[in-house]
Amino acid sequence: MLVTGKRNLLTYTIAFVFILALNFLLPRMMPGDPLTAIYGDEALVAMTPALKARLVARFALDQPLWRQFGAYIAALFRGDLGWSYSFNAPVLKVILGALPWTLLVVGTSLILSTILGIVLGIESGWRRGSKIDRAMLAGLMSLNGFPDFFLGLVLLVVFGVLLGIAPLSGALTPYSSLSGQALILDVLKHMALPVAALTIAHLAGGYLLTRNTMITVLKAPFMLTAKAKGLSQNVIKYRHAGRNSMLPVLTMTGISLGRVVAGALFVELVFAYPGVGQLTYQALLSRDYPVIQGVFLMMAVSVLVANFAVDLLYPKLDPRVSHAH
Amino acid sequence: MLEIRGLRVSYGNDTVLNGLDLDLADGEALAIIGESGAGKTTLGMSIMRLADAGIQGSIRFNGEDIFTLSDEQMREIRWNRISMLFQNVNNVLNPVHRVLDQVAEPIVEHKLRSKGGALDRAGELLTRFGLPTERFSAYPHQLSGGEQQRVLLAMALANDPDLLIMDEPLSSLDVTTRQELGELLRNIDGHRAKLVITHDLDTASRLSEKLAVLYGGRIVETGSTREVLINPRHPYTRALIRAYPNMTTVKDMQGIKGRMTRPVSGCPFHPRCTQAMEKCSSEVPRLNQNHGRWVACHRGGIVTLLSVVNLSKQFNLLKAVDSVSLHIEAGETLALVGQSGSGKTTLAKILMGLYTPSKGGIYLEGKKVEKREKDFYRRVQMIFQNPGESLSHRLSILELVMEPLEVQGIGTKEERREKAIQTIGEVELPQTKTFLNTYPHHLSGGELQRVAIARALVLDPDLLIADEPTAFLDAGIGAKILKLMLNLQECRGLSMLYITHDVAAARKMSDRIAVMLDGLIIEEGPSSEIVASPRQSYTKRLLASASSLHYLDKTSVK
Ligand code: SF4
Repeated sequence: MLVTGKRNLLTYTIAFVFILALNFLLPRMMPGDPLTAIYGDEALVAMTPALKARLVARFALDQPLWRQFGAYIAALFRGDLGWSYSFNAPVLKVILGALPWTLLVVGTSLILSTILGIVLGIESGWRRGSKIDRAMLAGLMSLNGFPDFFLGLVLLVVFGVLLGIAPLSGALTPYSSLSGQALILDVLKHMALPVAALTIAHLAGGYLLTRNTMITVLKAPFMLTAKAKGLSQNVIKYRHAGRNSMLPVLTMTGISLGRVVAGALFVELVFAYPGVGQLTYQALLSRDYPVIQGVFLMMAVSVLVANFAVDLLYPKLDPRVSHAH
Repeated sequence: MLEIRGLRVSYGNDTVLNGLDLDLADGEALAIIGESGAGKTTLGMSIMRLADAGIQGSIRFNGEDIFTLSDEQMREIRWNRISMLFQNVNNVLNPVHRVLDQVAEPIVEHKLRSKGGALDRAGELLTRFGLPTERFSAYPHQLSGGEQQRVLLAMALANDPDLLIMDEPLSSLDVTTRQELGELLRNIDGHRAKLVITHDLDTASRLSEKLAVLYGGRIVETGSTREVLINPRHPYTRALIRAYPNMTTVKDMQGIKGRMTRPVSGCPFHPRCTQAMEKCSSEVPRLNQNHGRWVACHRGGIVTLLSVVNLSKQFNLLKAVDSVSLHIEAGETLALVGQSGSGKTTLAKILMGLYTPSKGGIYLEGKKVEKREKDFYRRVQMIFQNPGESLSHRLSILELVMEPLEVQGIGTKEERREKAIQTIGEVELPQTKTFLNTYPHHLSGGELQRVAIARALVLDPDLLIADEPTAFLDAGIGAKILKLMLNLQECRGLSMLYITHDVAAARKMSDRIAVMLDGLIIEEGPSSEIVASPRQSYTKRLLASASSLHYLDKTSVK
């Protein structure tokens, strides 16, 4: 366990440094003035020479590359991701304003799709070959083909426009100044459709994996042991078969996290949800490079952190892993 | 408490158990023994109603047919009344749960105790079966094979079942653990009925009082474990014991001819049986009681091929053979051991009809032998001490081997030729033209004896009498001849009367030994017993003077 942990920590550190370096180098390696690359043309036009000089000094752009990197890291540690001109606020603040909404949607749908995928997979695998199993398999396989934003659109049209039971956009009802329970309810209502879209889009992966593993696990000798012990069906199904079948899904969830985050960016656009996706879109429109870089950094780091969490969790669920080394 | 009738279990077209009957009483320890693929594990699974197969027949547990019970009722029986010590294969314990929890699980799930109470009991059981406390919270993969077996055992007894089924309980364990767990298993409380399923005779003999031999999906023999192992009555049981490496029997290990095949009409063993009759391939033999043993065989078990009753031969004043009674079973080797002048060769000559007995009778398959016709010689053949004397020098090798067929008038010339060449191959002689056309005086002693054996075997006899067949040969060549005879016996299911002065050779060659002195049989019994605990001082002397590697003996004794 310790060995695995250490090795993991090392891999993660390397990945983290790599991301930082990338974020640092990319704008600086573009042809032309790095300041232009970092801030974009429009921002520069509006700049006075004095401001420009201050910025050069701040990023140590007149210094050798390694010094620039030092300055960049130092700024990061101060929480300084730069200044957003289109929002006229520090990048960190802009991102932190949007991030909770994205975390809420991505986190909820990730948990939901994983749990639902596992449960459906267990039930389907348990009844392998039956009508229910085949129906589930066909249904989820066909859902799997649709991109998440498309599902979002369909949901929006059906529930938002046609049925009118869900809000069409945003994360909160504007100017309602709700509080307490009413606020929570409002938030839930607004996140329902984006979460549903993401959950459905990512359900099939976990389901298929669980179902396949389940079918293999059902043939394992310990399943016979469990039956011979006269355990009830649910104990056999979940404690013995299910528990062993969910392991690969967790690994998969960690791996597919990046995909879900990317998907979330699109889904947010569809629902005009004020999360990081929406922010990125706006930043792109106004070529607000510092924000885009900041988002890239944030996303990369959060995917990394989530993966690390799964890695820490896994040995607790599968005791064999901690002894693999 | 357990009563199985006409149990038929098949997976698709493959019928694994085919009309099996079995009874088990309270507190009884019964072992089911059989080769892998005989359906042993399927039987265990069927009793727990866990075999995922087509099932006919009935299994009554305390009077109730388990196939008529509801799933819920069956669930109550599982582990509470009937539990199973599973074969210790990989993943038989759930890899993601701690072993203590797995032992406690059935107690909790059957609501016998609270969670805490169940864990306490599980801990007690694990301790009783020798798992150290610090291993309780380990996961299965962290335990050694022996430790896993202890966990499985504790788990099997968790709910204090009335019937414990043990599937290969001692296999895959090292010798010391095997010894220790064998002891523990034998001593788990007496009221419990135990059903041991194993391919291993040693396990069966350690753990059971009664033994049932499973072959081709049926019980072919059952009786007390000790008796069945010492004196098997079914041809299959005997073959199984002969094929089993152990320290008790002294004869060389022999395989069982052929392979187990399914499905088979009639007696499941008939394709491999050396005493099969026509009826055997069409009619299924029932399990019948015979001499205190239950045997399923149309011939009542291993038949007595030849018996000699009260046979005497007097030359003037000398009683060469004095009231000798002996029998030889089909497929068995009896060694007749004695010094020269003990009368053993005279006895052989009487058997072959070269001397007429003064008194007594000889019976071939129960029929008294009066006049020896062609028929008798077709079934009983003899090879002599000195092949140089017994083979005519005017005939070529091929002619020599063909001669008995001609005398008996068997087959056409072509068929005889073919049969002879085939037999020459069987005794491991070259089948080349040059060799077939040579004359005996060109051959070595060992080759001559092989020709003599081929001559005897070409008629496919049931009994071969071999009188000191290696007396004129070097030790190395003689050993090869004996090896050949053992092989031939295994392939053909021959019976042999092996006459020798050499106890050491007799012990390797024979199932039983009869010791002859001054015309009398003074001692007779299974070879292992005669060798291990001779009763007569003469036998002891014979054994003491038998060739052994004394140097090795001394060092190993001290
Ligand atoms: S003699 Fe017939 S019934 Fe008896 S074991 Fe042989 S084949 Fe089966």
